[in-house]
Amino acid sequence: MRKAAFLLALLLGATAAEAQLPFLRKRDAQPQQPVLQGIDALRAEFAAQSGGTMVYFGSESTLLGPPARTALALQAAWLRRHPEVVVRIEGYGDSLDTRDHALAVGARRAEDVRSYLVLLGVPAVQVSTTSWGKERPGLGRAVTVLVR
Amino acid sequence: MKRLILPVLLLGLAGAAQAQQPAATVIAVPPLTSPDSGDKGNQMLAVGWNVTQAIEADLRQTAEVMPLRPNRDDYYSYPEVTAPTFSKWRSKGAKALVTGFVQGRSDGRLTVGCYVYDADKGRELARKGFIIGANDWRRAAHKCSGLAYTAITGAPGIFDTRIAYVAENGVGEARTRRIAVMDSDGQNQRYLTSGDAMVLTPRFSPKASQLAYVSFAGGRPAVRVANLDSGQERPLVAGDPISFAPRFSPDGSRIAFSMMLGANSDIYVVGANGGLPQRLTTAPGIDTDPSFSPDGSKIVFESDRGGTQQLYVMNADGTGQRRISFGGGWYAAPSWSPDGEWIAFTRRGQDGRRIGVLKADGSGEQTLTSGPGDEGPSWAASSREILFQRTAANTRTGLYRVALDGSEPRQLATPQDGSDPDWSGVAD
Repeated sequence: MRKAAFLLALLLGATAAEAQLPFLRKRDAQPQQPVLQGIDALRAEFAAQSGGTMVYFGSESTLLGPPARTALALQAAWLRRHPEVVVRIEGYGDSLDTRDHALAVGARRAEDVRSYLVLLGVPAVQVSTTSWGKERPGLGRAVTVLVR
Repeated sequence: MKRLILPVLLLGLAGAAQAQQPAATVIAVPPLTSPDSGDKGNQMLAVGWNVTQAIEADLRQTAEVMPLRPNRDDYYSYPEVTAPTFSKWRSKGAKALVTGFVQGRSDGRLTVGCYVYDADKGRELARKGFIIGANDWRRAAHKCSGLAYTAITGAPGIFDTRIAYVAENGVGEARTRRIAVMDSDGQNQRYLTSGDAMVLTPRFSPKASQLAYVSFAGGRPAVRVANLDSGQERPLVAGDPISFAPRFSPDGSRIAFSMMLGANSDIYVVGANGGLPQRLTTAPGIDTDPSFSPDGSKIVFESDRGGTQQLYVMNADGTGQRRISFGGGWYAAPSWSPDGEWIAFTRRGQDGRRIGVLKADGSGEQTLTSGPGDEGPSWAASSREILFQRTAANTRTGLYRVALDGSEPRQLATPQDGSDPDWSGVAD
């Protein structure tokens, strides 16, 4: 009996402790979040189902590594399911680079991402590119942005 | 015996000191006088004093000429303009003298006379007269400063020139950038773009009547050309390619620039008034930042075709491409000096970016700045100074000028943070 009571207390204690865990609080807070609509809802869905919108490059490199290819495979799968959506790949350069070379590196990274998405079956007209060079925070990456 | 040796020793010491730090030529700048009398004379003397102070400020910016501070009470008669008392200026240490007069005209405009003398030899070096609007005295001062500078150094004056740059406000995503144009003394600043779209790399046409720059207004970086007088502007090339790094040819008829074709950046040239771009480079990799030689026959550019960014020179039609930088590290953003002697560049190493120069054949390389955040060299019309951008550790940017003599870079005052400077030639 005493043992049972002790176990019960342990269980209650555990439950009480569990109530403090982050995922429970997160679920409690959810109804307060605004309901996303239109392009914002699509963007959120794309980001969630593709495991993110960014791929990263090594310094001075425009090569797509295995993590980038995995991420782009997920992006491509989603884009094939949503042929009505248009995306723009925004490439970034490296901060230590000079301005115009960084612009070209960003453009090249964006173009490499675009080529890979097209290789995976995404229609070419669905994907455009641009470059931010080293002119914006968030260097060394390419971001897939839903335009419409 | 001792008495004889001492002056020789002193001379030797003075020589050594001069060799270490190139001495600037001291120039006297007495107040401009006037042949007019009465109230009009007083008005003209007041304008003359403005001009005198502007000349002093102009010359003080240079590394080669050092003005004596003018004294307004230092009365200077009209006849003295053409017959100066040289001993007076020699006794103050001046090697040269710039002086002149302001005279009112019956049509309300002014005549400004400007005279430059070698005070040591007591002879005239140059003289020039300008007729200007009553409020245009600053322009007359710049022309007079240029006359003195050229007479002393043999190089074109840089005072009647303009500077274009990118004026920056705010930080991070919220940073706005506008193309700004100002006189080289910091006066008459105006903005060409509103700040709605990011802009980069303004580049003057040779007479500073047009400006090519990169705008992100259409979502992708693209070169636009603006007419500075009419305010009209247009895209450099049709369609929607990514294009950047524009530079005018010395005669103003062509613009060389970079354009992306797929993942490949190559150098193209197109008529300044439009037309079909002609492709000059075909190497895989990134070719960018073209800059014409002053005679327009050659183009220096950067390419990473060999694995790292290096400088290459080619004929203006794209033939005869050859590498000229071999010093180790990465070389970028070359700019050919107006006198054809030097090519300025940004050199990247593990410890940052610095400004340097080398000859067109690749020899004589010198590093001019200590970095670590320097880039984007642009020549003064004199070919003796370089304007560049320095980024501080806190990411704020500023414009600096450095002389070829190895002296310390000096910051140029701008109303906001500034990047991507371009120094025009002499307008005339």
